[in-house]
Amino acid sequence: MKEMVPKKGRVILHVDMNSFYASVEMAFDPSLKGKPLAIAGDVEERRGIIVTCSYEARKFGVKTAMPLWEAKKLCPQLIVMKPNFERYRAASIRIFEIMRQYSDLVEPVSIDEGYMDITESDEFGTPIEIARTIQKRLLEQLDLPCSIGISPNKFLAKMASDMKKPLGITILRKRDVPNVLWPLDVGQMHGVGKKTAEKLAKIGIRTIGDLANANEIQLKNLLGINGARLKERANGNDRRLVDPESVSDFKSVGNSTTLPKDISNQQVLFQVFDGLAEKVAARLKRKKVLAANISITIRYKDRKTITRSKKLRNPVSQKDEISQAAKTLFLKHWNGDPVRLLGITGTDLQEKGYAVKQLDLFSFEKEAKKEPLIHALEKLREKYGKHIIENAGAKADIDIKSKIGTDTSFNKDFLQTFTNGEKNKKQ
Amino acid sequence: MKLIIQRDRLVQSVQDVMKAVSSRTTIPILTGIKIAATEKGVTLTGSDSDISIESSIPKEEDGDELAEIIESGAIVLQARFFSEIVKKLPTDTVVIEVQNHLQTVIRSGKSEFNLHGLDAEEYPHLPQIKEENVFRISADLLKMMIRQTVFAVSTSETRPILTGVNWKIEDRELTCIATDSHRLALRKAQIETESNESYNVVIPGKSLNELSKILDDSNDPIDIVITENQVLFKAKHLLFFSRLLEGNYPDTSRLIPTDSKTDVVVNIKEFLQAIDRAALLARDDRNNVVKFSTFENQLIEISSNTPEIGKVIEEVQAQSIDGEDLKISFSAKYMIDALKTLDGTEIKVSFTGAMRPFLIRPINDDSILQLILPVRTY
Repeated sequence: MKEMVPKKGRVILHVDMNSFYASVEMAFDPSLKGKPLAIAGDVEERRGIIVTCSYEARKFGVKTAMPLWEAKKLCPQLIVMKPNFERYRAASIRIFEIMRQYSDLVEPVSIDEGYMDITESDEFGTPIEIARTIQKRLLEQLDLPCSIGISPNKFLAKMASDMKKPLGITILRKRDVPNVLWPLDVGQMHGVGKKTAEKLAKIGIRTIGDLANANEIQLKNLLGINGARLKERANGNDRRLVDPESVSDFKSVGNSTTLPKDISNQQVLFQVFDGLAEKVAARLKRKKVLAANISITIRYKDRKTITRSKKLRNPVSQKDEISQAAKTLFLKHWNGDPVRLLGITGTDLQEKGYAVKQLDLFSFEKEAKKEPLIHALEKLREKYGKHIIENAGAKADIDIKSKIGTDTSFNKDFLQTFTNGEKNKKQ
Repeated sequence: MKLIIQRDRLVQSVQDVMKAVSSRTTIPILTGIKIAATEKGVTLTGSDSDISIESSIPKEEDGDELAEIIESGAIVLQARFFSEIVKKLPTDTVVIEVQNHLQTVIRSGKSEFNLHGLDAEEYPHLPQIKEENVFRISADLLKMMIRQTVFAVSTSETRPILTGVNWKIEDRELTCIATDSHRLALRKAQIETESNESYNVVIPGKSLNELSKILDDSNDPIDIVITENQVLFKAKHLLFFSRLLEGNYPDTSRLIPTDSKTDVVVNIKEFLQAIDRAALLARDDRNNVVKFSTFENQLIEISSNTPEIGKVIEEVQAQSIDGEDLKISFSAKYMIDALKTLDGTEIKVSFTGAMRPFLIRPINDDSILQLILPVRTY
């Protein structure tokens, strides 16, 4: 379908917040401004990794994903803070609210970046004027800096927003590609990671220009279907549309945790599973989905990692059910060695409205007891509409206080909440 | 051992005993078929240690010579090869001869196979069953009872006892019950017996499936003997042994509702076809669910909605609808399975609420009952 849309004349912005977590902290506490600040997943040094840092810290060579002890060595005066996800989430929601005022086609990619299609937004001015207005409003109203790329497609917009930081606005047209992109290292290209860059280097591809002019068959052999796609991108072509719904295309809900020390005590590991199951259950409830498949991840002391999954007879969303499934899997596949990390992931997600539970002859009484209540709810919904009443779990839309997501990164769940909220408003 | 045998009879017997032979056995000799020649005739035996089948070919039947025993004896031949060989032999008679060192020659017309046999002495003995307390049932009725219940056994090993069919014999009545805990099938029938013993055993579903495949659709009598851990079915020229499942079958009688709040009488064929069509959009495992609603004027609606595909609404005119209005969702597959076991033109479906098991029975026939647990929607 997407292939059939004519590629002519779209205007896409990529709005990328500059060192977002650190900027939010500085907006919250202006005394931090101008100081080297880092946000780390865990202040404890063994596991602590820099999630993001201010530009002042970057001057010392501190980088994202650097272990905390290394960063401290480079910059002893570094201020280290734990992430305040609630703050970032609130800021993010306001950012997207502002973006949405200029176009309906806003696609959040993560907490701090998003694409918007402003082809039809000429009432707000030229593309560059719109970009300037958005950047200015984000800075003045939220005290948050961003860089914006303006291009005919997502890929170029993303590359453009990366070119001037902080507070840059870069226009990257297709005709600029040979002059601007091609001299760059292929590793700087969005979509080319370290591994891919290494592979490409083996066949003599070092710059984006090399990739743009590379032999397609050779690329396909090396990288599969992705090879052809990357070549297209290197030539400045990208047909992906800005899709406001893409956030809701979630496929799994998972949580994992690195243990404070390697553990082989089954009882303790089971407690870890209980904790993980609780988080997964909370997130499933917020998404209003059930998981028909539960998988677990076990990483051993020697970093050997296994993932095992099981399809369930009935989809689950309750903590106990998830925990039970995870433990059963664990007992089946654990070799007894000390464990460094455990994770639970729910996949094969089904929307609550369409999920069903096959009742059991030997336990249906438990469910049947709830029948009068369910009956009453149904009557209410029939009379007043679907949203008149919901279970407490499903209502926990905005006010979830518990820390969700993995300990070091933010998950996108709330973005979905945000789009849902918008949708409901429109209805 | 040396014998000459009619090929067709041999093929038939081999096919029957093959039902018990598994390639995945822990006892190597059980990958073979035992062939024994005595002055009475030839017997073939296959077993996977859960099921054992013995098929015999008499020397003579109705004046026809079926087998000639030149030298009695026994041998075990690899089932996989032996069964394929006999099927394809060129002429109507087959000569099987064991020579030195278990070497076995199979000859038919101008074809000659030399197989390495296994020592028949190594082959496990069949269970010894004392034939007292025999009860008797015709083959076609037995097959019917199996068909009407065995489909409902559990395929999951989480509760092994539910992988079998519960057979209860009391006051010359046999009751077969199977449930996978999501649906239950029950069938009763009178049996012939001289004994007043009561039994309560669980026969593996797999055994009954295999038995059903072997038995002819005739009204020949089948003798059944139940012991502590084995059941034996005896037909003409055939012995079928099965291990019984250990453990207590759950008492299901109290779980079968006795009263109802909504009773629907409907033509079985129309109902089945409507469900079948409604299930077209709900075929995959997760959405194999249809919604059943009653309306005024004896109208039933069966609907299904799969967001990615589309939706379907089927209307069925019921003969009668008595009691409360009802909306209930259930697995279309379970319903189709259950309906396919019922004869007659009309059935009565009795509901006691959207979250409780419901019953499907033919009108005026107490001998069979199908029960289904609905699904709960969120």
